[in-house]
Order: sequence, then C-alpha cells, then structure tokens
Amino acid sequence: MITQEKYCHFCVNNLKEIDYKNTQLLQRFINSYMKIKPRKRTGTCSWHQRKLATAIKRARIMALLPFVSK
Amino acid sequence: MSRTKKTTLPHYELLYIVSNKYTEQEVKPIAEKIEKLITDAKGEINYKEEWGKKKFAYPINHFNHGYYFLIEFDLAGVDLKEVDTEIKHMHEVLRHQIITKRKRSLEEIEDEKRILAKQAKRAEEKRAELESGAEKKPEAKVKKSAEVAKEAKKEEKEKVKPAEKEKSKEEVQLNLDKLDEKLDKILDTDDLL
Repeated sequence: MITQEKYCHFCVNNLKEIDYKNTQLLQRFINSYMKIKPRKRTGTCSWHQRKLATAIKRARIMALLPFVSK
Repeated sequence: MSRTKKTTLPHYELLYIVSNKYTEQEVKPIAEKIEKLITDAKGEINYKEEWGKKKFAYPINHFNHGYYFLIEFDLAGVDLKEVDTEIKHMHEVLRHQIITKRKRSLEEIEDEKRILAKQAKRAEEKRAELESGAEKKPEAKVKKSAEVAKEAKKEEKEKVKPAEKEKSKEEVQLNLDKLDEKLDKILDTDDLL
C-alpha cells in the first residue's frame, strides 16, 4: 500500500481556533455518513482534532451540519 | 501572574435561531428584545451579524427554515446564567448557543472577513472550472466570434448558455456525489490490505 504524507491543515495554515460557523471548512472533515473523519485519514494533529470535534458538534446543534445523512 | 484576578469581562458569542413562522418585520423586535436582555444585564454588545433566513440541516420542531442571528458581547459570568435561561424561555427562539470566545480587535475581525471572502471567491472559481471543464475551450471561441458578431446574436447565445451550464452542473454534481460515496465506502472498510 502506498502511504501518502499527510499534514495537519490547521497547523500548515497557522490556524489556532476553529470556527464552528465555517461549515465549508468543517464539511471537509466529515464523511458521507456525516461522521467525523478519523485523524488517520485527514492527517489532522491531535490538538486540532480535539478542537475540530467540538466545532463540528457545535455546528450540529445549531443545524448547520446534519447529525445523520438523509 | 495567574493568581491575579482578571479585571476585564469575559467575552461571549451567542448564535440563536428565530422560528420561521414570523415574517422578517416581526423578527426585528425579537432580535431587539434579546439585545435589550444583554444590555440590561450590564453587558456590552461588540459585534452583530444577521444571516437571514437559512435552511436547517435537519428539521427542528417541524420547521425547515429559520432566521439566524449572531451577537458577540462582554458580560460578567454571574449574569450569563440569567440571560441564558431568559433566552431559553422565549418561545420565539428555536435554539440558541452561547460559547466563550477570545476577544478580537476590530482589525482582526476585518482580516477574518477578508480571508473568508477570498476563500469563497476561490471556491467559486474552482466550481466554475469544474463545471465548464469540458465546455471551456469551445465557449471561449464562441465568445470571440460573438464579440465580432452583432449584439443581437450575443444576446441569443447568452440566453442559451445558462441553460446548458445548469445541465452540466447537475451532471457534474451527480457524478462527484457518486464518486465521493464510493470512495468513502471503500475507505470506511477497516483496512484495505
């Protein structure tokens, strides 16, 4: 299997906070079942993955992102 | 240093959804009511944003649309609970969320807006490229010839183009959606090996 080198999107762009209102960005980190993608696949670092998870959950509460796919 | 108490008030961000059963004129007094709630509790509103009517990702109380409002404010932590419960009891508000936030300067807010606008522009350009990927070359030629041709002809062509674009949009989107789903399904199975 070919392993691709992955980088944390937020570390590379020097983003310290993740806004839960930026759904366009968050959409990249959920799969078609609307589940949060694992770190293994996105390459996000653990510090940012934790922030990302809370951001996605907050967006779900405000109906900006779905909990489940239709 | 950490032992000294902070003298500045904490900064909060409130996002709330007003039910869709109200018209846009009826929504304004509701928004003012909530702002008054915060100012009455000796809070200071620094930033306001109206998103307007938006579609929900899932129905809330059988509503599919709602008006989104965003407020950033400084408020003493003791008074926050009162504001929170007060908003919770308002039947006009479908849902609300208060989060703590780092206070930003005006410059930072402007910077953020600029970056977001840039990102949106880039995304749109990419989308346009994807949509017109196959048609791009013939289109450019058509445009050149059209420039030489009479204005009446131009108008006719322009009328036809949007219809074509819409068709290709749907096709491209359908194809991309299917591809995405397939990829995700393959990648979701535990290990490829």
